[in-house]
Amino acid sequence: MATLSLDALRKTYPNGFTALHGIDLAIDDGELIVVVGPSGCGKSTLLRMLAGLESISDGELAIDGRRVNDLEPAERDIAMVFQNYALYPHMSVADNMGYALKNRGVPKAERRRKVEETARLIGLEDLLDRRPRQLSGGQRQRVAMGRAIVREPKVFLFDEPLSNLDAKLRVQMRIEIRRLQKRLGVTAVYVTHDQVEAMTLADRLVVMNGGHIEQVGTPMHLYERPASRFVAGFIGSPAMNFLDARRADGDLALPCGTRIATSHEVHNDAVCLGIRPEHLSRVSEADDTTLTTRVELVEPLGADTLAHVRLDGQEEPLVARLDGVQPVAEGDTLYLRPDASRLHLFDLDTGRRLDDKDIHSCPSSPSSRLA
Amino acid sequence: MATFQRHRLTPWILLAPQLAIVAVFFFWPAAQAVLQAFYVEDPFGLGRTFVAFENFTRVLASAEYYRALGITVAFSIGVALGAMALALLLAVLADRVIKGAHAYKTLLIWPYAVAPAVAGVLWMFMLAPELGLVSAWLGALGIDWNHQLNGGQAMALVVMASVWKQMSYNFVFFLAGLQAIPRSLLEAAAIDGAGPWRRFWTITFPLLSPTSFFLLVMNSVYAFFETFGTIDATTAGGPGGATRTLVYKVFEDGFVGYDLGSSAAQSVLLMLLVGLLTLLQFRYLERKVQY
Ligand SMILES: Nc1ncnc2c1ncn2[C@@H]1O[C@H](COP(=O)(O)OP(=O)(O)O)[C@@H](O)[C@H]1O
Ligand SMILES: [Mg+2]
Repeated sequence: MATLSLDALRKTYPNGFTALHGIDLAIDDGELIVVVGPSGCGKSTLLRMLAGLESISDGELAIDGRRVNDLEPAERDIAMVFQNYALYPHMSVADNMGYALKNRGVPKAERRRKVEETARLIGLEDLLDRRPRQLSGGQRQRVAMGRAIVREPKVFLFDEPLSNLDAKLRVQMRIEIRRLQKRLGVTAVYVTHDQVEAMTLADRLVVMNGGHIEQVGTPMHLYERPASRFVAGFIGSPAMNFLDARRADGDLALPCGTRIATSHEVHNDAVCLGIRPEHLSRVSEADDTTLTTRVELVEPLGADTLAHVRLDGQEEPLVARLDGVQPVAEGDTLYLRPDASRLHLFDLDTGRRLDDKDIHSCPSSPSSRLA
Repeated sequence: MATFQRHRLTPWILLAPQLAIVAVFFFWPAAQAVLQAFYVEDPFGLGRTFVAFENFTRVLASAEYYRALGITVAFSIGVALGAMALALLLAVLADRVIKGAHAYKTLLIWPYAVAPAVAGVLWMFMLAPELGLVSAWLGALGIDWNHQLNGGQAMALVVMASVWKQMSYNFVFFLAGLQAIPRSLLEAAAIDGAGPWRRFWTITFPLLSPTSFFLLVMNSVYAFFETFGTIDATTAGGPGGATRTLVYKVFEDGFVGYDLGSSAAQSVLLMLLVGLLTLLQFRYLERKVQY
């Protein structure tokens, strides 16, 4: 039960490397925030600063309105689930879970009751006497979760907690984490590099890149109105296609001659046009609003088909997500029409979204929450 | 398979030099010692008489022997605990050092390269009653240091010299053990509300227990056998036998007293004792240190 407020948090490591360049974020009580970004963008650094495991070089961190910059990890009342679980190998599952309570001087009987209660909640009651090395990966993950839950902390922190599990277990645990977090109502910050995990878990997503926040918002908001080319390419799978386009009489003209009518008011002469694979549809006849492409690879997924196609004069192949099973084969010519109402335009130089200059004042951005 | 059969002799030929060395310098003398333990030799070494277990009964009936046993136990506990505790302390500190860590570690490992006798002499000079630097400081503090007269001080001297020498060995193992503990465990413990002291005793120390156990065995063997040079160079078992450990007594009785039968019997007993000690440690301690 807590709010978190991050105000211009910076981290410069002793070797002089600046991993975070001013992070602003306000996290509501009971909210599940997922921080997502490519490897090395500073996610773990941020989380470790929240935990108190890394010092804060500059800026202010507050939990429930109280500045905690200089508090020890133990004094912040947070729990953390590590990527490698960090279970104490010489203690039983019950002792692992009860360790924090013991440190706080909770009497033995009460400790036992709480550990058993939590074990029941997450299905560990038969494993309480085992040592970590006698558990499977999924069970270890559960113990790590249990160890966090039993403490009833103000904030949960998760650092890629599912990345050591196999795909199926990952999906199960993802659902379970979401369910538990909502049930317990504890504020949580969850770090991952997996955008699918991020999309399905998050109340709000924080997309990071190179030590900056690129955008904050609900998963759907980020999907529909990515604030930058980076976010557009990172959120959504398969990734968005990008094409160079020029302005011509209010329309957009592609190098291949295709013209796309757009309602966007574009002032730049040249822009980066983003089209999601699912917003390309197959048509039988070519006209001047379609793209004429050659199929390079087909991935039939059952519910839909991914066609990797090449457009003349375009270096990167495009991906189109076509409905159902499609009778296309390598080498075929495919006519694709972009959905003109769902295009994304980005500045070629800055990568910022063009039709959304005031992106920072949209309802789910942090500045409005802070205001 | 056939090619392997034909070369059955080759491994033995390759091993032969090593085996010959072990046989000549270890098995043969050891066998001689065991054999010797059952004979009494005449004073001029011209003939010997088989006496069965008389050498052993004589040794086990002598008060001198039990005194040496008691001294050895006290000495070994002092050396093992001292060397391990100090090494652990230094390793924990070294584990935290970031700048100049390499130089610091190298310096701490040096004493291991010093010969036992040299280590002993070093300490003896520092603590020499009339000339020593440290004994002068002690004198200033009102402590009258003279290990040539004071048995307790002599014991302290040999313990210190032996500890100093063995510490490096322990330090290397403890440091490696500490560095093998994942950082995230200590971080998790910190988040779980354990302060540095508690983290050490509830996480670090238990996780080091396999290392500690190994070192306990090694340090016991060291204290029993390998401190001979240190003792011989500093106190030569004195004053009045105050630092005469079992291994020193083996030497004294054999090569000073020329009672070879008794000396051999004592060395057999010593071997059995260390064997028994190691066995006990493995049986009762090792089980506790597994996790
Ligand atoms: N202790 C450190 N000293 C110097 N640089 C570090 C340290 N830890 C991490 N970094 C650097 O900071 C950046 C962010 O690291 P990290 O937060 O671990 O990234 P992520 O978790 O997003 O993959 C990386 O470039 C990494 O090399
Ligand atoms: Mg990371």
